[in-house]
Amino acid sequence: METALKGTGINKVFHDAVNLQVLKNVSLEVKTGEFVSIVGKSGCGKSTLLYVLSTMDTDYEGQLEINQTSVTGKSLNDLARIRNESIGFVFQFHYLLPDFTCLKNVMIPALRLGKLSSKEIEAKAYEKLKMFGVEDQALKKANKLSGGQQQRVAIARALINEPTIIMGDEPTGNLDSKNTNIVFDLFQKLTKEFGQTIITVTHDEDFAKRSDRIIEMADGEIKSHGH
Amino acid sequence: MKISVNTEIAVTYLSARKKQTAVAALGVMFGISMFIFMQSLMKGTNDYFEKMSFNSTPHIRLYSENKVADAHMLTSYLQDPSVKILTNPKQLIQTQGLNNPYGLIREIERNPQITNVTPQVTADVIYTSGSVQINGNVAGVNIDQEDKMFDVQSNMLAGDLHDLNRVNNGLLIGKGVADKLSLHVGDNITVTSGTGSPTIMKVVGIFATTVKQVDDTKSYANIVQAQNLLGKDRSYVTDIKINLKDYNNAPAVARELETITGYKAEDWVKANEQLKAAFKIRAVILNSVIGVILLVAGFGIYNILNMTIYEKIKEIAILKAQGFSGQAVTSIFLQQAIYIGLIGGIVGIICGFGITLMVSRIYIGAGTLKYLPMSFYIPHYIEAICFGILTTVAAGYFPARKASRVDPVTIIRG
Repeated sequence: METALKGTGINKVFHDAVNLQVLKNVSLEVKTGEFVSIVGKSGCGKSTLLYVLSTMDTDYEGQLEINQTSVTGKSLNDLARIRNESIGFVFQFHYLLPDFTCLKNVMIPALRLGKLSSKEIEAKAYEKLKMFGVEDQALKKANKLSGGQQQRVAIARALINEPTIIMGDEPTGNLDSKNTNIVFDLFQKLTKEFGQTIITVTHDEDFAKRSDRIIEMADGEIKSHGH
Repeated sequence: MKISVNTEIAVTYLSARKKQTAVAALGVMFGISMFIFMQSLMKGTNDYFEKMSFNSTPHIRLYSENKVADAHMLTSYLQDPSVKILTNPKQLIQTQGLNNPYGLIREIERNPQITNVTPQVTADVIYTSGSVQINGNVAGVNIDQEDKMFDVQSNMLAGDLHDLNRVNNGLLIGKGVADKLSLHVGDNITVTSGTGSPTIMKVVGIFATTVKQVDDTKSYANIVQAQNLLGKDRSYVTDIKINLKDYNNAPAVARELETITGYKAEDWVKANEQLKAAFKIRAVILNSVIGVILLVAGFGIYNILNMTIYEKIKEIAILKAQGFSGQAVTSIFLQQAIYIGLIGGIVGIICGFGITLMVSRIYIGAGTLKYLPMSFYIPHYIEAICFGILTTVAAGYFPARKASRVDPVTIIRG
């Protein structure tokens, strides 16, 4: 299997009053189609690691490769392009744009990418919303939906550009068990059926256990790669 | 037409907060409409005063200036190269007027910039009617040319100016002269100059300009009559009045004429320095008022965009997470500023035009000025739009840059 993401010797220091090293020489590799959970206590650096892997945080030492291409040291514009094309995000909070309809929210990353016509994007966005059972909410404003529905729309949005990697920061942290199950099943379907890679940070042990692999972190280091 | 996603987001943000957008646009609108109104008023007023001054002043007046005696003159008179020192030199009287004036006129007419050239004989005179005497001056002119250059016809109260050509010893007198001497068209008046003999002339017309001093002293006669009044021959001309295609070139052409003819050429700018000063002062007042209005409008936009950015900081972070670059975010917020500017600008132009139109109908009725002079000058409207956009872009730039620098990690992680 191909490597979707590879980090080598990643170090990160917070320069806040005292220098605090939050990531200590972290190396990890995630294969295409894997469903990986990163777990650990609060403050162990797992979220920090996720944001480094996401290319949003560029203040680190070490090497990062996404789809076998090094992204370390690239310009912010290039990184934005890479995120747009190859990475989807799901956060604990949905972060939908409340002034837009759900459909538009899902369409925006694809419109940004600009590879398809807006007609095609719209059709695709509908398809994604249908996949998550929220197509009937498509034309409502995002802030009119329930929490579970909003999170599903947010996941649909993360998938619109068919990214190779989907990153989740506590994607189910704000959901009840019913919605958590829906989201988990969908994630599994994405890896098994569509070969997409999922990396999530989670506190939810059940959720983590059911994923393909668990990476355990403590004090800024990886304790177990879960192989 | 393909609308970019940045534009779509910018427009959605604007339409989601219609009231604030309207308030910001209103600020720009006031700025723009005031800009247009004040520019129109200023240009209208300036044009009016310029036109007024050209009703009495030619673009260039060529005349022979009294000179102060100097040693050169003595040298050439005595034909003797020794060094001479003059103590207490005096003014020399130029009694001869311009030398070979008609030759000069033919010469001057060759200049392609010049549209009208007309000779004039100016005579200081005493008007006498019955036992009343008042001082004044007679301008001996070719009345047809004079009318072409200064639109004398528009100042006529009574009589016909063309009678100057038809009636022997005809005279057009100012309203003040007519009132003081109680004269009407067809009456006789005795005119005496310093050098000629008293002449009885016939009032063929009465005119009134906006300048009281002119109306109280001036009269027009045929140039030949004026020469007779002074007891001079037909080649005696005191002034040559010249109009140009573009009066802004007057100073340059005047200098040229001075070197060619050797006489003094006074351009209208010099003759109306106070007018120019007034133009400048008005321009300063106007520009500072407009500047303040646009500044306030700019702050309005700055404020509203800043507030939007604080409110939407999470959305900006998420857009960046999804792959919107800093430039894209800048574009989203700058576009909002530009649309506010455009809306305000367009409405402002319409309002500005409306205000200008309304004010131009206000009756003033002072002298020959019936209505407020307003100009409808297209470049003002273009300038206004440009200024409006410039202000909004400047005001929107800083908030937009701030938005583009939002660090998604800090915002999303909280």
